[in-house]
Amino acid sequence: MIEISNFSFTYRESADPVVRDINLTIPDGAFVGITGAAGSGKSTLTYAMNGIIPHCYPGDFYGSVNVCGLDTVECDLTEISRRVGSVCQDIDSQMVSSIVEDEMLYGLENFGVAHEEIEARVAEALDAMGIADLRDRTIDSLSGGQKQKVALAAIVALRPEVLVLDEPTAELDPASSVAVYELLRRYAREHGTTVVIVEQKIALLCDYADLLVVIDDGRIRFADRPENVLEHADELLAIGVNCPRSTTLCHDLKAAGLYEGAVCKNVNDAVAMAEQVLALASSEEGGAR
Amino acid sequence: MIEFSHVSASYDGELAVLRDVSFRIEDGSFVAFVGTNGAGKSTTMRLINGLLKPTEGQVLIDGTPTTELKTSELAQRVGFLFQNPDRQICNNTVREEMMFGFKALGKESPEAEVRADEIMAAFGLNPDDDPFLLNRGTRQLLALASIIVLQPPVVVLDEPTTGLDFRECTKVMEIIRRLHERGTTVVMVCHDMEVVADYAESIIVMSAGRVLAQGPTYELLRDRVLTQEASLVAPQMVALSLALGSQHPQLANTAVGQANTLSEMERALGLEIAEGGEPR
Repeated sequence: MIEISNFSFTYRESADPVVRDINLTIPDGAFVGITGAAGSGKSTLTYAMNGIIPHCYPGDFYGSVNVCGLDTVECDLTEISRRVGSVCQDIDSQMVSSIVEDEMLYGLENFGVAHEEIEARVAEALDAMGIADLRDRTIDSLSGGQKQKVALAAIVALRPEVLVLDEPTAELDPASSVAVYELLRRYAREHGTTVVIVEQKIALLCDYADLLVVIDDGRIRFADRPENVLEHADELLAIGVNCPRSTTLCHDLKAAGLYEGAVCKNVNDAVAMAEQVLALASSEEGGAR
Repeated sequence: MIEFSHVSASYDGELAVLRDVSFRIEDGSFVAFVGTNGAGKSTTMRLINGLLKPTEGQVLIDGTPTTELKTSELAQRVGFLFQNPDRQICNNTVREEMMFGFKALGKESPEAEVRADEIMAAFGLNPDDDPFLLNRGTRQLLALASIIVLQPPVVVLDEPTTGLDFRECTKVMEIIRRLHERGTTVVMVCHDMEVVADYAESIIVMSAGRVLAQGPTYELLRDRVLTQEASLVAPQMVALSLALGSQHPQLANTAVGQANTLSEMERALGLEIAEGGEPR
Protein backbone atom coordinates (compact mmCIF):
# COMPACT_ATOMS: atom_id res chain seq x y z
CA MET A 1 0.00 0.00 0.00
CA ILE A 2 1.10 3.53 -0.71
CA GLU A 3 -0.22 6.13 1.67
CA ILE A 4 0.47 9.79 1.05
CA SER A 5 -0.79 12.20 3.70
CA ASN A 6 -0.84 15.99 3.55
CA PHE A 7 2.25 15.88 1.37
CA SER A 8 3.79 19.06 -0.01
CA PHE A 9 7.25 19.48 -1.46
CA THR A 10 9.30 22.53 -2.41
CA TYR A 11 12.55 21.96 -4.31
CA ARG A 12 15.44 23.79 -2.68
CA GLU A 13 15.87 26.11 -5.67
CA SER A 14 12.13 26.92 -5.94
CA ALA A 15 10.10 29.45 -4.03
CA ASP A 16 6.78 27.60 -4.20
CA PRO A 17 5.81 23.99 -3.59
CA VAL A 18 5.63 21.86 -6.75
CA VAL A 19 3.06 19.55 -5.17
CA ARG A 20 0.84 20.52 -2.27
CA ASP A 21 -1.64 18.98 0.13
CA ILE A 22 -1.52 15.60 -1.56
CA ASN A 23 -3.63 12.90 0.06
CA LEU A 24 -3.70 9.63 -1.82
CA THR A 25 -4.12 5.99 -0.82
CA ILE A 26 -3.16 3.31 -3.34
CA PRO A 27 -4.12 -0.23 -2.33
CA ASP A 28 -1.82 -3.20 -3.02
CA GLY A 29 -2.15 -4.51 -6.55
CA ALA A 30 -3.82 -1.37 -7.92
CA PHE A 31 -3.07 -0.14 -11.42
CA VAL A 32 -2.88 3.63 -11.11
CA GLY A 33 -2.51 6.22 -13.85
CA ILE A 34 -1.30 9.75 -13.15
CA THR A 35 -1.83 12.42 -15.77
CA GLY A 36 -1.84 16.20 -16.05
CA ALA A 37 -0.28 18.99 -18.05
CA ALA A 38 3.48 19.49 -18.26
CA GLY A 39 4.85 20.96 -15.04
CA SER A 40 1.77 20.00 -13.03
CA GLY A 41 3.79 17.92 -10.55
CA LYS A 42 3.31 14.38 -11.87
CA SER A 43 6.97 13.41 -11.85
CA THR A 44 7.51 15.01 -8.45
CA LEU A 45 4.74 12.83 -7.05
CA THR A 46 6.43 9.70 -8.42
CA TYR A 47 9.76 10.83 -6.93
CA ALA A 48 8.03 10.87 -3.57
CA MET A 49 6.84 7.29 -4.10
CA ASN A 50 10.22 5.87 -5.10
CA GLY A 51 12.17 7.79 -2.46
CA ILE A 52 14.12 10.01 -4.87
CA ILE A 53 12.41 12.71 -2.83
CA PRO A 54 13.74 13.38 -0.22
CA HIS A 55 16.88 11.26 -0.70
CA CYS A 56 18.20 12.75 -3.97
CA TYR A 57 16.40 16.06 -4.30
CA PRO A 58 16.72 18.24 -1.23
CA GLY A 59 13.90 20.55 -0.31
CA ASP A 60 11.09 21.21 2.14
CA PHE A 61 9.10 18.03 2.74
CA TYR A 62 5.79 18.29 4.58
CA GLY A 63 3.44 15.45 5.48
CA SER A 64 4.29 11.78 5.09
CA VAL A 65 4.77 9.21 2.34
CA ASN A 66 4.52 5.58 3.31
CA VAL A 67 5.33 2.88 0.74
CA CYS A 68 5.04 -0.87 1.51
CA GLY A 69 5.13 -0.04 5.21
CA LEU A 70 8.26 2.12 4.86
CA ASP A 71 8.29 5.77 5.80
CA THR A 72 10.29 7.15 2.85
CA VAL A 73 11.94 9.81 5.01
CA GLU A 74 13.00 7.40 7.75
CA CYS A 75 14.47 4.57 5.64
CA ASP A 76 17.29 4.76 3.10
CA LEU A 77 17.00 4.69 -0.68
CA THR A 78 18.41 1.17 -1.01
CA GLU A 79 15.68 -0.17 1.22
CA ILE A 80 13.01 1.60 -0.84
CA SER A 81 14.46 0.51 -4.16
CA ARG A 82 14.28 -3.15 -3.13
CA ARG A 83 10.52 -2.70 -2.93
CA VAL A 84 9.92 -0.06 -5.58
CA GLY A 85 11.20 -0.41 -9.14
CA SER A 86 11.34 2.75 -11.23
CA VAL A 87 11.72 3.63 -14.87
CA CYS A 88 12.45 7.30 -15.39
CA GLN A 89 11.29 9.57 -18.15
CA ASP A 90 14.73 10.13 -19.65
CA ILE A 91 15.66 6.59 -20.50
CA ASP A 92 19.27 7.42 -21.39
CA SER A 93 19.89 8.60 -17.84
CA GLN A 94 18.80 5.20 -16.52
CA MET A 95 21.06 3.02 -18.66
CA VAL A 96 24.32 2.08 -16.96
CA SER A 97 25.69 -0.59 -19.31
CA SER A 98 26.69 -0.75 -22.94
CA ILE A 99 25.14 -4.16 -23.69
CA VAL A 100 21.51 -5.15 -23.09
CA GLU A 101 22.41 -8.30 -21.15
CA ASP A 102 24.73 -6.33 -18.83
CA GLU A 103 21.95 -3.82 -18.21
CA MET A 104 19.70 -6.71 -17.17
CA LEU A 105 22.38 -8.14 -14.88
CA TYR A 106 23.27 -4.86 -13.19
CA GLY A 107 20.28 -4.69 -10.87
CA LEU A 108 20.05 -8.43 -10.25
CA GLU A 109 23.70 -8.72 -9.22
CA ASN A 110 23.64 -5.58 -7.13
CA PHE A 111 20.59 -6.79 -5.27
CA GLY A 112 22.36 -10.08 -4.58
CA VAL A 113 19.91 -12.33 -6.43
CA ALA A 114 21.16 -15.94 -6.26
CA HIS A 115 23.43 -16.71 -9.20
CA GLU A 116 21.45 -19.79 -10.29
CA GLU A 117 18.26 -17.74 -10.42
CA ILE A 118 19.61 -14.91 -12.54
CA GLU A 119 19.51 -16.54 -15.97
CA ALA A 120 15.85 -17.52 -15.60
CA ARG A 121 14.94 -13.99 -14.45
CA VAL A 122 16.78 -12.36 -17.37
CA ALA A 123 15.25 -14.70 -19.94
CA GLU A 124 11.75 -14.33 -18.49
CA ALA A 125 11.87 -10.52 -18.40
CA LEU A 126 13.31 -10.23 -21.93
CA ASP A 127 10.70 -12.66 -23.23
CA ALA A 128 7.92 -10.82 -21.44
CA MET A 129 8.92 -7.56 -23.15
CA GLY A 130 9.34 -9.33 -26.49
CA ILE A 131 12.99 -8.35 -26.80
CA ALA A 132 14.83 -11.67 -26.36
CA ASP A 133 16.53 -10.97 -29.71
CA LEU A 134 18.09 -7.77 -28.37
CA ARG A 135 20.03 -9.51 -25.59
CA ASP A 136 23.47 -9.13 -27.17
CA ARG A 137 22.89 -5.74 -28.81
CA THR A 138 24.70 -2.61 -27.72
CA ILE A 139 22.44 -0.08 -26.02
CA ASP A 140 23.72 2.58 -28.45
CA SER A 141 22.33 0.70 -31.43
CA LEU A 142 18.78 0.55 -30.03
CA SER A 143 15.91 2.84 -30.98
CA GLY A 144 14.26 4.92 -28.26
CA GLY A 145 11.38 2.45 -28.10
CA GLN A 146 13.67 -0.53 -27.80
CA LYS A 147 15.57 1.18 -24.97
CA GLN A 148 12.33 1.74 -23.10
CA LYS A 149 11.54 -1.96 -23.33
CA VAL A 150 15.04 -2.83 -22.06
CA ALA A 151 14.63 -0.47 -19.10
CA LEU A 152 11.26 -2.03 -18.25
CA ALA A 153 12.64 -5.56 -18.57
CA ALA A 154 15.58 -4.72 -16.30
CA ILE A 155 13.21 -3.45 -13.61
CA VAL A 156 10.63 -6.22 -13.97
CA ALA A 157 13.45 -8.78 -13.55
CA LEU A 158 13.95 -7.42 -10.01
CA ARG A 159 10.33 -8.34 -9.14
CA PRO A 160 9.56 -5.23 -7.12
CA GLU A 161 6.35 -4.89 -5.10
CA VAL A 162 5.62 -1.51 -6.64
CA LEU A 163 6.46 -0.32 -10.15
CA VAL A 164 6.69 3.44 -10.62
CA LEU A 165 6.94 4.29 -14.31
CA ASP A 166 7.30 7.81 -15.68
CA GLU A 167 5.94 7.85 -19.24
CA PRO A 168 7.20 4.34 -20.00
CA THR A 169 5.69 4.29 -23.48
CA ALA A 170 6.58 7.83 -24.60
CA GLU A 171 8.71 6.57 -27.44
CA LEU A 172 6.79 3.41 -28.22
CA ASP A 173 4.49 2.95 -31.19
CA PRO A 174 0.79 2.47 -30.38
CA ALA A 175 0.79 -1.30 -30.81
CA SER A 176 3.90 -1.67 -28.61
CA SER A 177 2.39 0.71 -26.04
CA VAL A 178 -0.69 -1.51 -25.79
CA ALA A 179 1.57 -4.55 -25.62
CA VAL A 180 3.51 -3.00 -22.72
CA TYR A 181 0.31 -2.19 -20.83
CA GLU A 182 -0.98 -5.72 -21.43
CA LEU A 183 2.28 -7.10 -20.12
CA LEU A 184 2.26 -4.81 -17.09
CA ARG A 185 -1.33 -5.71 -16.24
CA ARG A 186 -0.71 -9.42 -16.59
CA TYR A 187 2.55 -9.20 -14.66
CA ALA A 188 0.95 -7.11 -11.93
CA ARG A 189 -1.96 -9.51 -11.51
CA GLU A 190 0.29 -12.56 -11.39
CA HIS A 191 2.67 -11.03 -8.86
CA GLY A 192 0.27 -8.78 -6.96
CA THR A 193 2.40 -5.80 -8.01
CA THR A 194 1.16 -2.26 -7.59
CA VAL A 195 1.69 -0.23 -10.77
CA VAL A 196 1.85 3.57 -10.84
CA ILE A 197 2.23 5.07 -14.30
CA VAL A 198 2.64 8.70 -15.32
CA GLU A 199 1.26 8.99 -18.82
CA GLN A 200 0.11 11.54 -21.38
CA LYS A 201 -1.74 8.90 -23.42
CA ILE A 202 -5.02 9.18 -21.59
CA ALA A 203 -6.82 6.74 -23.88
CA LEU A 204 -4.41 4.03 -22.74
CA LEU A 205 -4.76 4.94 -19.07
CA CYS A 206 -8.54 4.84 -19.31
CA ASP A 207 -8.40 1.29 -20.65
CA TYR A 208 -6.02 -0.06 -18.04
CA ALA A 209 -6.09 2.00 -14.86
CA ASP A 210 -8.32 1.16 -11.86
CA LEU A 211 -7.63 4.62 -10.53
CA LEU A 212 -6.94 7.72 -12.59
CA VAL A 213 -5.26 10.61 -10.81
CA VAL A 214 -5.30 14.00 -12.52
CA ILE A 215 -2.93 16.64 -11.21
CA ASP A 216 -3.20 20.34 -11.87
CA ASP A 217 -0.77 22.91 -10.52
CA GLY A 218 0.58 20.55 -7.88
CA ARG A 219 -2.78 19.49 -6.49
CA ILE A 220 -4.87 16.39 -7.09
CA ARG A 221 -7.88 17.48 -9.09
CA PHE A 222 -9.41 14.05 -9.63
CA ALA A 223 -8.67 10.60 -8.21
CA ASP A 224 -11.36 8.18 -9.27
CA ARG A 225 -12.21 5.42 -11.71
CA PRO A 226 -11.41 6.58 -15.26
CA GLU A 227 -15.06 6.59 -16.38
CA ASN A 228 -15.94 8.89 -13.47
CA VAL A 229 -13.05 11.25 -14.25
CA LEU A 230 -14.04 11.40 -17.94
CA GLU A 231 -17.43 12.77 -16.91
CA HIS A 232 -15.58 16.06 -16.35
CA ALA A 233 -14.36 16.60 -19.93
CA ASP A 234 -14.63 20.39 -19.89
CA GLU A 235 -12.73 20.73 -16.63
CA LEU A 236 -10.07 18.35 -17.90
CA LEU A 237 -9.65 20.34 -21.10
CA ALA A 238 -9.36 23.56 -19.09
CA ILE A 239 -6.37 22.10 -17.21
CA GLY A 240 -4.70 20.80 -20.38
CA VAL A 241 -5.86 17.19 -20.30
CA ASN A 242 -7.52 15.92 -23.45
CA CYS A 243 -10.14 13.16 -23.44
CA PRO A 244 -10.14 10.26 -25.89
CA ARG A 245 -12.09 11.13 -29.08
CA SER A 246 -14.72 8.53 -28.17
CA THR A 247 -15.35 10.42 -24.93
CA THR A 248 -15.66 13.76 -26.75
CA LEU A 249 -18.12 12.18 -29.19
CA CYS A 250 -20.11 10.86 -26.25
CA HIS A 251 -20.26 14.23 -24.48
CA ASP A 252 -21.28 16.03 -27.69
CA LEU A 253 -24.07 13.51 -28.34
CA LYS A 254 -25.21 13.85 -24.73
CA ALA A 255 -25.23 17.63 -24.94
CA ALA A 256 -27.41 17.40 -28.06
CA GLY A 257 -29.80 15.06 -26.25
CA LEU A 258 -29.03 12.17 -28.59
CA TYR A 259 -27.54 9.87 -25.95
CA GLU A 260 -28.13 9.37 -22.24
CA GLY A 261 -26.05 6.34 -21.30
CA ALA A 262 -22.71 5.87 -19.55
CA VAL A 263 -19.66 7.85 -20.63
CA CYS A 264 -17.50 6.22 -23.32
CA LYS A 265 -13.83 5.68 -22.58
CA ASN A 266 -12.82 3.75 -25.70
CA VAL A 267 -13.88 2.66 -29.17
CA ASN A 268 -15.78 -0.39 -27.89
CA ASP A 269 -17.91 1.82 -25.65
CA ALA A 270 -18.45 4.18 -28.58
CA VAL A 271 -19.65 1.32 -30.80
CA ALA A 272 -22.30 0.41 -28.20
CA MET A 273 -23.26 4.09 -27.88
CA ALA A 274 -23.56 4.56 -31.65
CA GLU A 275 -25.70 1.44 -31.90
CA GLN A 276 -28.00 2.89 -29.27
CA VAL A 277 -28.12 6.29 -30.99
CA LEU A 278 -28.77 4.76 -34.39
CA ALA A 279 -31.53 2.52 -33.04
CA LEU A 280 -33.23 5.67 -31.75
CA ALA A 281 -32.64 7.40 -35.03
CA SER A 282 -33.91 4.43 -36.98
CA SER A 283 -37.26 4.47 -35.18
CA GLU A 284 -37.59 8.22 -35.54
CA GLU A 285 -35.87 9.09 -38.78
CA GLY A 286 -35.62 5.90 -40.78
CA GLY A 287 -32.05 4.78 -40.22
CA ALA A 288 -28.56 6.16 -40.32
CA ARG A 289 -27.89 9.03 -42.62
CA MET B 1 11.43 17.12 -54.18
CA ILE B 2 12.76 14.24 -52.09
CA GLU B 3 13.25 10.98 -53.89
CA PHE B 4 14.47 7.62 -52.60
CA SER B 5 15.48 5.26 -55.36
CA HIS B 6 16.07 1.64 -54.29
CA VAL B 7 17.74 2.77 -51.07
CA SER B 8 19.28 0.32 -48.63
CA ALA B 9 21.04 1.47 -45.50
CA SER B 10 22.91 0.04 -42.55
CA TYR B 11 24.55 1.45 -39.44
CA ASP B 12 27.25 -1.18 -39.08
CA GLY B 13 27.71 -2.16 -42.73
CA GLU B 14 26.15 -5.56 -42.10
CA LEU B 15 22.62 -5.41 -40.70
CA ALA B 16 20.40 -3.73 -43.33
CA VAL B 17 18.00 -1.35 -41.55
CA LEU B 18 16.40 -0.25 -44.82
CA ARG B 19 15.94 -2.51 -47.79
CA ASP B 20 15.22 -1.36 -51.32
CA VAL B 21 13.14 1.64 -50.29
CA SER B 22 11.69 3.84 -53.04
CA PHE B 23 9.31 6.78 -52.69
CA ARG B 24 8.89 10.35 -53.81
CA ILE B 25 7.77 13.37 -51.75
CA GLU B 26 6.56 16.28 -53.86
CA ASP B 27 7.27 19.89 -52.93
CA GLY B 28 4.66 21.41 -50.64
CA SER B 29 3.28 18.14 -49.31
CA PHE B 30 2.70 17.12 -45.68
CA VAL B 31 3.74 13.51 -45.28
CA ALA B 32 3.90 11.37 -42.15
CA PHE B 33 5.94 8.20 -41.83
CA VAL B 34 4.17 5.62 -39.70
CA GLY B 35 5.09 2.14 -38.53
CA THR B 36 6.31 0.30 -35.48
CA ASN B 37 9.52 0.97 -33.55
CA GLY B 38 12.40 -0.30 -35.62
CA ALA B 39 10.48 -0.11 -38.92
CA GLY B 40 13.14 2.25 -40.32
CA LYS B 41 11.38 5.60 -40.02
CA SER B 42 14.09 7.47 -38.13
CA THR B 43 16.73 5.90 -40.38
CA THR B 44 14.83 7.27 -43.37
CA MET B 45 14.87 10.74 -41.76
CA ARG B 46 18.63 10.49 -41.23
CA LEU B 47 19.06 9.61 -44.90
CA ILE B 48 17.04 12.67 -45.91
CA ASN B 49 19.21 15.03 -43.88
CA GLY B 50 22.43 13.32 -44.93
CA LEU B 51 23.48 12.13 -41.46
CA LEU B 52 23.44 8.67 -42.99
CA LYS B 53 24.39 7.76 -46.55
CA PRO B 54 22.78 4.86 -48.40
CA THR B 55 24.75 1.65 -48.87
CA GLU B 56 22.79 1.08 -52.08
CA GLY B 57 20.56 3.28 -54.21
CA GLN B 58 20.27 7.05 -54.09
CA VAL B 59 18.63 9.70 -51.93
CA LEU B 60 17.95 12.73 -54.14
CA ILE B 61 17.11 16.20 -52.82
CA ASP B 62 15.87 18.36 -55.69
CA GLY B 63 17.55 15.92 -58.07
CA THR B 64 20.98 15.94 -56.39
CA PRO B 65 22.19 12.84 -54.50
CA THR B 66 22.88 13.57 -50.81
CA THR B 67 26.32 12.02 -51.31
CA GLU B 68 27.20 14.99 -53.54
CA LEU B 69 25.89 17.67 -51.18
CA LYS B 70 27.91 19.27 -48.40
CA THR B 71 26.31 19.20 -44.96
CA SER B 72 25.90 22.99 -45.08
CA GLU B 73 24.17 22.81 -48.50
CA LEU B 74 21.85 20.10 -47.27
CA ALA B 75 21.12 22.00 -44.05
CA GLN B 76 19.86 24.96 -46.08
CA ARG B 77 17.47 22.74 -48.01
CA VAL B 78 16.31 20.49 -45.20
CA GLY B 79 15.68 21.64 -41.61
CA PHE B 80 15.79 18.77 -39.15
CA LEU B 81 14.10 18.52 -35.76
CA PHE B 82 15.55 15.72 -33.67
CA GLN B 83 13.35 13.48 -31.55
CA ASN B 84 15.10 14.78 -28.44
CA PRO B 85 15.54 18.59 -28.47
CA ASP B 86 18.49 18.24 -26.11
CA ARG B 87 20.50 16.74 -28.96
CA GLN B 88 19.99 19.95 -30.85
CA ILE B 89 20.16 22.81 -28.36
CA CYS B 90 23.72 23.95 -27.74
CA ASN B 91 23.62 27.62 -26.71
CA ASN B 92 23.25 29.45 -23.43
CA THR B 93 20.37 31.74 -24.33
CA VAL B 94 17.28 31.39 -26.46
CA ARG B 95 18.47 34.25 -28.69
CA GLU B 96 21.88 32.64 -29.29
CA GLU B 97 20.16 29.36 -30.12
CA MET B 98 17.88 31.12 -32.61
CA MET B 99 20.87 32.78 -34.30
CA PHE B 100 23.08 29.68 -34.22
CA GLY B 101 22.03 28.44 -37.68
CA PHE B 102 22.75 31.82 -39.28
CA LYS B 103 26.11 31.93 -37.52
CA ALA B 104 27.02 28.41 -38.68
CA LEU B 105 26.12 29.34 -42.25
CA GLY B 106 27.93 32.70 -42.04
CA LYS B 107 24.67 34.51 -42.69
CA GLU B 108 24.27 36.72 -39.63
CA SER B 109 22.53 39.95 -40.57
CA PRO B 110 20.13 42.55 -39.16
CA GLU B 111 17.37 40.90 -41.22
CA ALA B 112 18.15 37.58 -39.57
CA GLU B 113 17.88 39.25 -36.14
CA VAL B 114 14.50 40.68 -37.06
CA ARG B 115 13.25 37.32 -38.28
CA ALA B 116 14.47 35.65 -35.08
CA ASP B 117 12.68 38.31 -33.00
CA GLU B 118 9.43 37.75 -34.92
CA ILE B 119 9.55 33.99 -34.47
CA MET B 120 10.48 34.20 -30.77
CA ALA B 121 7.49 36.50 -30.28
CA ALA B 122 5.18 34.18 -32.23
CA PHE B 123 6.36 31.15 -30.23
CA GLY B 124 6.18 33.01 -26.91
CA LEU B 125 9.91 32.50 -26.26
CA ASN B 126 11.90 34.84 -24.04
CA PRO B 127 15.22 35.69 -25.80
CA ASP B 128 17.15 35.84 -22.52
CA ASP B 129 16.03 32.50 -21.08
CA ASP B 130 18.52 29.70 -20.57
CA PRO B 131 17.31 26.89 -22.91
CA PHE B 132 18.35 24.17 -20.48
CA LEU B 133 16.14 25.56 -17.73
CA LEU B 134 13.02 25.48 -19.93
CA ASN B 135 10.57 22.60 -19.69
CA ARG B 136 10.56 19.85 -22.31
CA GLY B 137 7.70 21.32 -24.36
CA THR B 138 9.30 24.75 -24.51
CA ARG B 139 12.68 23.24 -25.44
CA GLN B 140 10.91 21.40 -28.27
CA LEU B 141 9.36 24.67 -29.41
CA LEU B 142 12.77 26.38 -29.29
CA ALA B 143 14.38 23.59 -31.33
CA LEU B 144 11.58 23.94 -33.90
CA ALA B 145 11.79 27.74 -33.89
CA SER B 146 15.55 27.68 -34.48
CA ILE B 147 14.97 25.59 -37.60
CA ILE B 148 12.02 27.54 -38.93
CA VAL B 149 13.95 30.82 -38.62
CA LEU B 150 16.28 29.61 -41.39
CA GLN B 151 13.26 29.16 -43.71
CA PRO B 152 14.27 25.83 -45.19
CA PRO B 153 11.98 24.66 -48.02
CA VAL B 154 11.70 21.25 -46.30
CA VAL B 155 11.37 20.47 -42.59
CA VAL B 156 11.89 16.96 -41.29
CA LEU B 157 10.43 16.32 -37.85
CA ASP B 158 11.29 13.15 -35.94
CA GLU B 159 8.41 12.68 -33.51
CA PRO B 160 7.77 16.36 -32.84
CA THR B 161 5.11 15.70 -30.18
CA THR B 162 6.77 12.99 -28.05
CA GLY B 163 6.82 13.95 -24.39
CA LEU B 164 4.56 16.95 -24.88
CA ASP B 165 1.25 17.41 -23.14
CA PHE B 166 -1.96 18.06 -25.05
CA ARG B 167 -1.66 21.85 -25.09
CA GLU B 168 2.00 21.81 -26.09
CA CYS B 169 1.30 19.22 -28.76
CA THR B 170 -1.48 21.33 -30.25
CA LYS B 171 0.72 24.43 -30.17
CA VAL B 172 3.61 22.70 -31.96
CA MET B 173 1.34 21.07 -34.55
CA GLU B 174 -0.58 24.26 -35.33
CA ILE B 175 2.73 26.04 -35.98
CA ILE B 176 3.72 23.20 -38.31
CA ARG B 177 0.34 23.39 -40.03
CA ARG B 178 0.80 27.11 -40.71
CA LEU B 179 4.31 26.48 -41.99
CA HIS B 180 2.91 23.94 -44.44
CA GLU B 181 0.14 26.29 -45.50
CA ARG B 182 2.80 28.83 -46.44
CA GLY B 183 4.44 26.30 -48.77
CA THR B 184 6.99 24.41 -46.65
CA THR B 185 7.25 20.70 -47.33
CA VAL B 186 6.69 18.87 -44.04
CA VAL B 187 8.00 15.36 -43.46
CA MET B 188 7.22 13.94 -40.04
CA VAL B 189 7.62 10.74 -38.09
CA CYS B 190 4.80 10.37 -35.61
CA HIS B 191 3.38 7.60 -33.47
CA ASP B 192 0.25 9.46 -32.41
CA MET B 193 -2.28 8.40 -35.01
CA GLU B 194 -4.76 11.09 -33.95
CA VAL B 195 -2.09 13.71 -34.72
CA VAL B 196 -1.18 12.00 -38.01
CA ALA B 197 -4.81 11.87 -39.07
CA ASP B 198 -5.46 15.49 -38.03
CA TYR B 199 -2.49 16.99 -39.86
CA ALA B 200 -0.84 14.80 -42.52
CA GLU B 201 -2.26 14.75 -46.04
CA SER B 202 -0.58 11.49 -46.88
CA ILE B 203 1.34 8.77 -45.12
CA ILE B 204 4.14 6.37 -45.95
CA VAL B 205 3.70 3.10 -44.09
CA MET B 206 6.90 1.28 -43.16
CA SER B 207 7.53 -2.14 -41.71
CA ALA B 208 10.78 -4.03 -41.15
CA GLY B 209 12.86 -1.64 -43.23
CA ARG B 210 10.52 -1.54 -46.21
CA VAL B 211 7.80 0.75 -47.52
CA LEU B 212 4.48 -1.08 -47.50
CA ALA B 213 2.32 1.69 -48.91
CA GLN B 214 2.15 5.41 -49.71
CA GLY B 215 -1.12 7.28 -50.16
CA PRO B 216 -3.80 9.56 -48.71
CA THR B 217 -3.86 9.34 -44.89
CA TYR B 218 -7.43 8.18 -44.27
CA GLU B 219 -7.51 5.87 -47.29
CA LEU B 220 -4.56 3.91 -45.91
CA LEU B 221 -5.68 4.06 -42.27
CA ARG B 222 -8.99 2.49 -43.33
CA ASP B 223 -7.16 -0.41 -45.01
CA ARG B 224 -7.44 -3.12 -42.38
CA VAL B 225 -5.07 -5.54 -44.09
CA LEU B 226 -2.41 -2.82 -44.27
CA THR B 227 -2.88 -1.56 -40.72
CA GLN B 228 -2.68 -5.09 -39.40
CA GLU B 229 0.43 -5.91 -41.41
CA ALA B 230 2.13 -2.72 -40.19
CA SER B 231 0.74 -3.04 -36.60
CA LEU B 232 -0.88 0.39 -36.86
CA VAL B 233 -3.65 1.48 -34.51
CA ALA B 234 -6.25 3.47 -36.44
CA PRO B 235 -7.45 6.78 -34.95
CA GLN B 236 -10.53 6.29 -32.77
CA MET B 237 -13.13 7.69 -35.17
CA VAL B 238 -11.80 5.58 -38.06
CA ALA B 239 -11.78 2.51 -35.79
CA LEU B 240 -15.36 3.29 -34.69
CA SER B 241 -16.54 3.78 -38.26
CA LEU B 242 -14.89 0.55 -39.44
CA ALA B 243 -16.25 -1.42 -36.46
CA LEU B 244 -19.80 -0.18 -37.06
CA GLY B 245 -19.49 -0.88 -40.79
CA SER B 246 -18.31 -4.43 -40.26
CA GLN B 247 -20.72 -5.29 -37.42
CA HIS B 248 -23.66 -3.76 -39.29
CA PRO B 249 -23.04 -4.27 -43.03
CA GLN B 250 -26.00 -2.01 -43.86
CA LEU B 251 -23.97 0.89 -42.41
CA ALA B 252 -20.80 0.24 -44.42
CA ASN B 253 -21.69 2.61 -47.25
CA THR B 254 -23.46 5.23 -45.14
CA ALA B 255 -21.96 8.38 -43.62
CA VAL B 256 -21.43 6.40 -40.38
CA GLY B 257 -19.49 3.66 -42.14
CA GLN B 258 -17.38 6.23 -44.02
CA ALA B 259 -16.74 8.80 -41.26
CA ASN B 260 -13.09 9.60 -40.60
CA THR B 261 -13.15 12.56 -38.21
CA LEU B 262 -15.03 13.50 -35.06
CA SER B 263 -17.14 16.08 -36.90
CA GLU B 264 -17.97 13.61 -39.69
CA MET B 265 -19.00 10.99 -37.15
CA GLU B 266 -21.06 13.48 -35.16
CA ARG B 267 -22.84 14.64 -38.30
CA ALA B 268 -23.43 11.03 -39.34
CA LEU B 269 -24.95 10.26 -35.95
CA GLY B 270 -27.41 13.12 -36.31
CA LEU B 271 -25.62 15.93 -34.53
CA GLU B 272 -25.89 19.30 -36.18
CA ILE B 273 -22.54 21.01 -36.21
CA ALA B 274 -21.11 23.96 -38.04
CA GLU B 275 -19.59 23.35 -41.46
CA GLY B 276 -15.89 22.68 -41.18
CA GLY B 277 -16.38 22.03 -37.45
CA GLU B 278 -13.10 20.99 -35.92
CA PRO B 279 -12.78 18.28 -33.32
CA ARG B 280 -12.28 19.79 -29.92
